[in-house]
Amino acid sequence: MTTESATPGLSYEKPLPPVLELTKPFWDGCREGVLRIQFCNICDLPWFPPAEACPRCLQDDWEWRPISGQGTVWSWIRMWQKYFPGWSPDEYPYTVALIKLEEGPYMYSTLVEIEDQDVTCDLAVEVDFRTVNDEITLPVFRPHRV
Amino acid sequence: MSNQPDRRDLRNLQDKTAIVGVGTTEFGAIYRDLDPERSAYELGLIAFREALRDAGLKRTDVDGVIVSRLPHYGRMCEMIGLRHPRFVNVLPGEGRQSGIALQYAALAVANGMAEVVACIYGNNGRSAGAKYGGESRGISTQAMFEAPYGMTSPGAVTSMMFRRHQYRYGTTTEPLGHLAISNRANAALNPNAVMQRPITMDDYEGARYIAEPLCLLDYCLINDGGVCFIVTSAERARDLKHTPVLIHASSQASDITPVYVADDFWHEPMSQIADDLFANSEAQREDLAFAQLYDNFTPTMLFTLEGMGFCEPGEGGDWITPERIGLHGELPLNTGGGHTSESYMQGWALHVEAVRQLRQECGDRQVDNAEYGLYACAAPLATGHILRRGD
Repeated sequence: MTTESATPGLSYEKPLPPVLELTKPFWDGCREGVLRIQFCNICDLPWFPPAEACPRCLQDDWEWRPISGQGTVWSWIRMWQKYFPGWSPDEYPYTVALIKLEEGPYMYSTLVEIEDQDVTCDLAVEVDFRTVNDEITLPVFRPHRV
Repeated sequence: MSNQPDRRDLRNLQDKTAIVGVGTTEFGAIYRDLDPERSAYELGLIAFREALRDAGLKRTDVDGVIVSRLPHYGRMCEMIGLRHPRFVNVLPGEGRQSGIALQYAALAVANGMAEVVACIYGNNGRSAGAKYGGESRGISTQAMFEAPYGMTSPGAVTSMMFRRHQYRYGTTTEPLGHLAISNRANAALNPNAVMQRPITMDDYEGARYIAEPLCLLDYCLINDGGVCFIVTSAERARDLKHTPVLIHASSQASDITPVYVADDFWHEPMSQIADDLFANSEAQREDLAFAQLYDNFTPTMLFTLEGMGFCEPGEGGDWITPERIGLHGELPLNTGGGHTSESYMQGWALHVEAVRQLRQECGDRQVDNAEYGLYACAAPLATGHILRRGD
């Protein structure tokens, strides 16, 4: 599918996220095969993308907690326009999906182990991981295995 | 919702202020003439000069300036020789800001902070090579959590929303085709429009995908241009050259999330705006001579029509017919050609078109009985106004 493990030795030209102090635990988790997002220790609200404080309590008493990795496809597109370097011609169109995580927050990602004609909104999916390099492993989603 | 102000207070602003001058650059001419040295300020200057002339005002009558997409108010004020303005603001280059510029201008004038406010927009995006997608650097959410998957561009998020609408309501792309075709038909009657060759449903269905399910003809243009509108009090407007166009009702609502999309297709903010407008106006939906609906991408118009109650949620696809939305239909839409055909001025040119329709200056594309008209922009930060032809 559209996101694959980078072959060691080949350059990876797709955009890579910068790893910040705030986001490092997220990427560390992905590398360990665990999807984590922030939860407020006061009110238990989860949120994503990362932020410095709970958007409800406005306090910085939060922690990274593993989440189920389960979700649904809120929607998805096939990208035909060549906005970025790094996708080879035979990868177009590539799929981008907006995943509604079981815990509530949304996350853009891509889908693996499914053909485009089988994708539908509200499809149950679960997280999987694709290693890009020593630092970055990207979460992707595949159909939920019953 | 006890912390909400009494929305009936909006009526205090009814017909207190007016747009008395509008100006634009020549959109078609400069589309065909790329100029890497063309600055957004130069385009704003041309539009300002036109708007002043249109209003019959002097440069020195202006005591307030709101700029958008122009990086700094200072350079614009220097260029128009405005050294001592009494009210200044700068708004980012987002389409949702055009309606907000008019709101600020009206609030400033109605409350005595300025007497004549020029709202100035300049966009050299085409000459500067803007692509509206592909940003992958920095520490934005886009760069960190979207670009790694190739997710980018406002069109792609709108496409996500439209796909969800298709899934939820069975909507097809045919109504989007009707919107694109109607915009182009109107642009064909607008000498200032960039794209004037009419298109058919075959053209629409054959257009290449950008972010599927949306295709090229669902997308706004990328072109250079400048727009200005000048706002003053309704009282002063009576002594000026043209029939004033009164700011009759205006409202703002929002749904601000990290992922831009809204699960209800912005029904809540757009219905709040519609409630505000129609509760504070003698005009109701059937009294509107036209609607200028923000059309960065065609689905945004469909979401707006549903959100503002022209039809029920999910029924937009059936509601949008060529007969209904054409120039002599029940609700003519984007009478100048909109962002997909006239010019991508991020809502600013839609305001100008509304003014010209209400002043009955639109020649072959003039709609009938233009007394009230609607502008609306559905987005995470949404706006709407009813404008009224003055006496």
